[in-house]
Amino acid sequence: MERRVFSVVALLSLFLLLAACAPDREEVTSEQDTNSEGTAEKPEELTIWANDEEKQLEAIKKIAADYEEQEGIKVNVVPKSMLDQVQELSLAGPEGNGPDLFYQPHDQLGTIVAQGLAEPLNISDEELSGYSDVAVEAVSYKYNGETAIYGVPSVLETYGVFYNKDIISKAPETIEDLKTILEKHTNPAKDEYGFLMKPNDLYFAYPFFKNYGGYIFGGETGEFDTTDIGLNNEGAVEGGKLFQSFFGSEKIPPGTTADVVDGLFTAGKVGAVINGPWSITGYKEAIGDSLGFAPFPEINGEPGKTLVGVKSWMVSYYSENKDWAQDLALFMTNEENQKYYFEVAGEMPTNTNALESIEDPIYNAFAEQVKYGVPMPSTPQMSQVWEPMNNALQFIAEGENVQAVLDEAVRQIKTKIQASGASQ
Amino acid sequence: MILSILFAGLGQLYNRRFMKGFTFIIVELAFIVTLLESINYGLWGLRTLGTIPGVDHSIRLLVFGVLSLIGVFFALSLYIYNVVDARNQARKIQNGWKPMGFRESMRTFYDHAFPYLMTFPGLVLMIFVVIFPLLFSVLLAFTNYNLYNSPPRNLVDWVGFENFVNLATVPIWQDTFVSVFSWTIVWTVVATTLQIGLGLFLALLVNDPRIKFKKLIRTILILPWAVPAFVTILIFSAMFNDDFGAINKDIIMPLFGGDGLPWLSDPFYARVAIIMVQTWLGFPFIFALFTGVLQSISKDWYEAADVDGGSRFQKFRHITLPHVMFATAPLLIMQYAQNFNNFNVIYLFNEGGPPVRGQNAGGTDILISWVYKLTFDTNNYSMAAAISIIMGLFVSGFAFYQFRRTRSFKEEGEI
Repeated sequence: MERRVFSVVALLSLFLLLAACAPDREEVTSEQDTNSEGTAEKPEELTIWANDEEKQLEAIKKIAADYEEQEGIKVNVVPKSMLDQVQELSLAGPEGNGPDLFYQPHDQLGTIVAQGLAEPLNISDEELSGYSDVAVEAVSYKYNGETAIYGVPSVLETYGVFYNKDIISKAPETIEDLKTILEKHTNPAKDEYGFLMKPNDLYFAYPFFKNYGGYIFGGETGEFDTTDIGLNNEGAVEGGKLFQSFFGSEKIPPGTTADVVDGLFTAGKVGAVINGPWSITGYKEAIGDSLGFAPFPEINGEPGKTLVGVKSWMVSYYSENKDWAQDLALFMTNEENQKYYFEVAGEMPTNTNALESIEDPIYNAFAEQVKYGVPMPSTPQMSQVWEPMNNALQFIAEGENVQAVLDEAVRQIKTKIQASGASQ
Repeated sequence: MILSILFAGLGQLYNRRFMKGFTFIIVELAFIVTLLESINYGLWGLRTLGTIPGVDHSIRLLVFGVLSLIGVFFALSLYIYNVVDARNQARKIQNGWKPMGFRESMRTFYDHAFPYLMTFPGLVLMIFVVIFPLLFSVLLAFTNYNLYNSPPRNLVDWVGFENFVNLATVPIWQDTFVSVFSWTIVWTVVATTLQIGLGLFLALLVNDPRIKFKKLIRTILILPWAVPAFVTILIFSAMFNDDFGAINKDIIMPLFGGDGLPWLSDPFYARVAIIMVQTWLGFPFIFALFTGVLQSISKDWYEAADVDGGSRFQKFRHITLPHVMFATAPLLIMQYAQNFNNFNVIYLFNEGGPPVRGQNAGGTDILISWVYKLTFDTNNYSMAAAISIIMGLFVSGFAFYQFRRTRSFKEEGEI
């Protein structure tokens, strides 16, 4: 008896599982009723997700208020950490709770596009001409054979050499200068170093490879060929050897960490370090007017080609007012507003006129450096590159064979890309 | 009985239990009206994980699916209860039993079921806080959820045991998994045993009647526990730095000369260092625990031992140790389980480093920190879920075995 009850129940539940059938859904086509002439109906309000840092928010709120006044569209500025935005959008977007605009660094582009979260923009060439070339390059991306621009660039970031004028009188112009400084001013017993950099960071070490012909992925920016990795070619090995020559006893200790670099530099014990604009405030507070900044030294007779990061406004795929969202993004990054944003938030503008109008010598040098910058690769595969390469750099700094280490790193990157499930 | 199978409550009505019958009917009707559609949708989603990319969000469907499974489970158990109940009653009536009146049966029900009634909210909470995420991550291990099939743009599919097979066969997973797994076990056993040993040793010392300033010593020994662990770990991490850390610069180099030990760059030394850090962090708890238990051992035992001429070691071996272990075994087991998944120490100390050539986890990475890296660097969620399952099975198997053998968890009278 008992058994029969259960068999009936079991049958019933199986039946339930099989009978579970597809609900009726309308097939939503991605083409929405956006007007091609850009005269889509004016919405009442737009929502944007801004990074939740105090200064940045303050600037964005003011700019949004200006837009409200000009166009009569209410702009809701929602503070949301940049790091959380992508994940939250992928959940909130389909529910209709997402923003119209969100704010992301361009190296997330591949991930964002793979998840279908950002809408390709149609910005005219004339509008694009206002931005630095490297910024526009950074926000374009190829997906399914079509290259498009996915973001309105807003902020530029790169790095160069900070130096302490009390220790070295003249900024290093070539990498050889930098090495001379290192050898002349280093005294490990007293924790004094002519030059310090963290060994295990591809971001900062990139010019060593690039200037000799190494590269991360082949192909053009935004249209990368991720099967072609150039980090162990002849040039990369040569750069790696140069990199290696900076480490060892009486030189940079391979155990150097970011904390050590910042700690010793702000204590006035280091001649020069490599860092980006985010550390200007801290360094200025610590060593004041002695702080100098120079573009990345020349390597192999060319200016150091540093990696550039671009933060941009992206239009959500789920936005109902894509044209106006784009319009708002363009408004927020026009010359006047970028100048204002720089003054308040201290982040470097992408707008060329705004960039050139900055009078601070440190930022001027950064603007100079941006000209030689290379956008960070934006494909999702890039996230598999960092760790093996950072580890390889650590091994190189510890004195292991450059060619062998780089070969191994590249092999590992390839298997990691495969293991992460990339089909392309 | 057949009536009950057809529709809940009919059997009870047939048995002339009108109140009960109507309640069942109402419950089933409510169930059908409100939940059937969403459960159907959930089960459909669970089976297919969506069919139209960009419209169906596979992960949300998976969540709905799990919820509906739980709903179905509830409904089924109610339903079975209803059928069994009807049959029992029918049998009782056949045997000449008279049903009680409504009020009376309510009272017996209340008396009988009070403990169940009280634990019910806890049960519901557990279902959503423990069972639901557990089911979700177990199911995730059988999908191909990674960045390139991420919803909303793409769909996630069921792939069966592919992840587990990959873990065992694809070289990059295989090599790393074996070495990480073995280090995890070494780490768990050595670090936990050391902290327990040290704690016990210190507790015994401080409890010796000849020791003065007990309170002061105890306070000092408990201090490492009072400082938040992550602060301690970060400080240790700086102190162990090869080139700039205090341990090499101020202790080893002046005393022994040389260049100091490669604490952070050599896997072996990094492992030694991290085990020492964990011992430092863990012993105060064990120390406090044992100190408490030691107070409760009756002095008579020791006096009796003295009369018999027992040595100091014999007294420890046959009186102190069994007492202490009997009272604390479950907590000690928890220590092992906790260290098996001690993400904080590993990650904050040097992020699982140093790098090891030819494998994709660092020298001190234990399974949990490796899974963390996988999920956030590689976005390979399904593989991370697969490894988590293996970890979960291991820990629960271990804990289950130990709990069964621990007397403290035996029910009364079974000792």
